Amino acid sequence: MHEMSVALEIGSIVARELAKRPGCRLTGLGVVVGAFSGVQIDTLEFCLEVVMAERYDGVVCEVKPEPGTAQCLQCGRRFQVSRAPFECPTCGMPALGVDGGDSLQVSYLEVE
Amino acid sequence: MSSERVEVKEKVLSANDQVAAENRALLAAHGIYSVNMISSPGSGKTTLLERTVDLLKPSLRLGVVAGDVQTRNDAERLERHGIPVEAIETGGGCHLDARQVARTLALLDLPSTDLLFIENVGNLVCPSSFDLGESEKIVLMSVTEGEDKPLKYPAAFRRARICVITKVDLVPHLDFSTERAVDNARSVNPDLRFFFTSSYSGEGLEEWGGWLGERVEEYRRGR
Ligand SMILES: Nc1nc2c(ncn2[C@@H]2O[C@H](COP(=O)(O)OP(=O)(O)OP(=O)(O)O)[C@@H](O)[C@H]2O)c(=O)[nH]1
Ligand SMILES: [Mg+2]
Ligand SMILES: [Zn+2]
Repeated sequence: MHEMSVALEIGSIVARELAKRPGCRLTGLGVVVGAFSGVQIDTLEFCLEVVMAERYDGVVCEVKPEPGTAQCLQCGRRFQVSRAPFECPTCGMPALGVDGGDSLQVSYLEVE
Repeated sequence: MSSERVEVKEKVLSANDQVAAENRALLAAHGIYSVNMISSPGSGKTTLLERTVDLLKPSLRLGVVAGDVQTRNDAERLERHGIPVEAIETGGGCHLDARQVARTLALLDLPSTDLLFIENVGNLVCPSSFDLGESEKIVLMSVTEGEDKPLKYPAAFRRARICVITKVDLVPHLDFSTERAVDNARSVNPDLRFFFTSSYSGEGLEEWGGWLGERVEEYRRGR
């Protein structure tokens, strides 16, 4: 629901970065979205397309999901999770707690 | 012409986070302990606040910031309990942000406040992304919502340290397992501390209110 405000914030960060590089044209943009960041990836992709198309031509947006990691209580295996329930792929036991997957970050710009 | 990759690595909500840090500093300067209450629509935030305000009013100076999408209803309900309340109408916005709170803090009598409640917009997704500068994020879920809320909305449960399970008076009428709800919440955030309350029967309110009182004291001492 707040993906549009997130896309607009990304737009401001991009504009700020470009202002530091006069004469550069934006060609690409990379964003990292954690599985537990509260942001819906496909909705954000759509909103970003809208925001970018309004301002620039032909920018390729890469929205990269970031999973979290959990550890099995039974066998100790560490595994990646991006949605609940957090069950060990080996023994099916629930994991207690998840690390990471909380990012919401502009990782890079591509300019020429 | 060849493209060049420029590393940015900037948090998307850094502008909000910066204002939140200013709010936090301002609240700290006045020794105000503040809580940001997050839940789905209708989980019982306002009703719990009404009961909590009555309980704590004799011993603490309270204030409320009540966020609502379209009305001032919640603010009006709370005003009737004789404490200062400021409403934030988001006009369709699905969450409060730090700037709205900053503007509202300017309207409150901060030197005469010990504990500030911020009732966020009823929504279990978006508010969890926006730091407001509060001391504590509190997530609420009512027993009518089903035990799997923490699994469906992990972000809110991960960012809070406290979880209040509300409307426990209804448990006898429902197929709701408190234990399963707690297990689910712990699976996304093992450090959560729980309260179980009913604003109707009064169950759990003493413990909840007592805990808030202790936090206020602790906050003042730690300053
Ligand atoms: N049985 C029962 N009902 C409750 C309890 N607390 C609140 N309610 C009812 O639940 C409904 C919603 O309560 P509110 O306090 O307005 O919920 P809210 O979270 O503030 O709602 P929004 O601000 O709209 O998101 C009302 O009809 C309340 O009377 C409770 O402890 N037990
Ligand atoms: Mg309310
Ligand atoms: Zn295992």
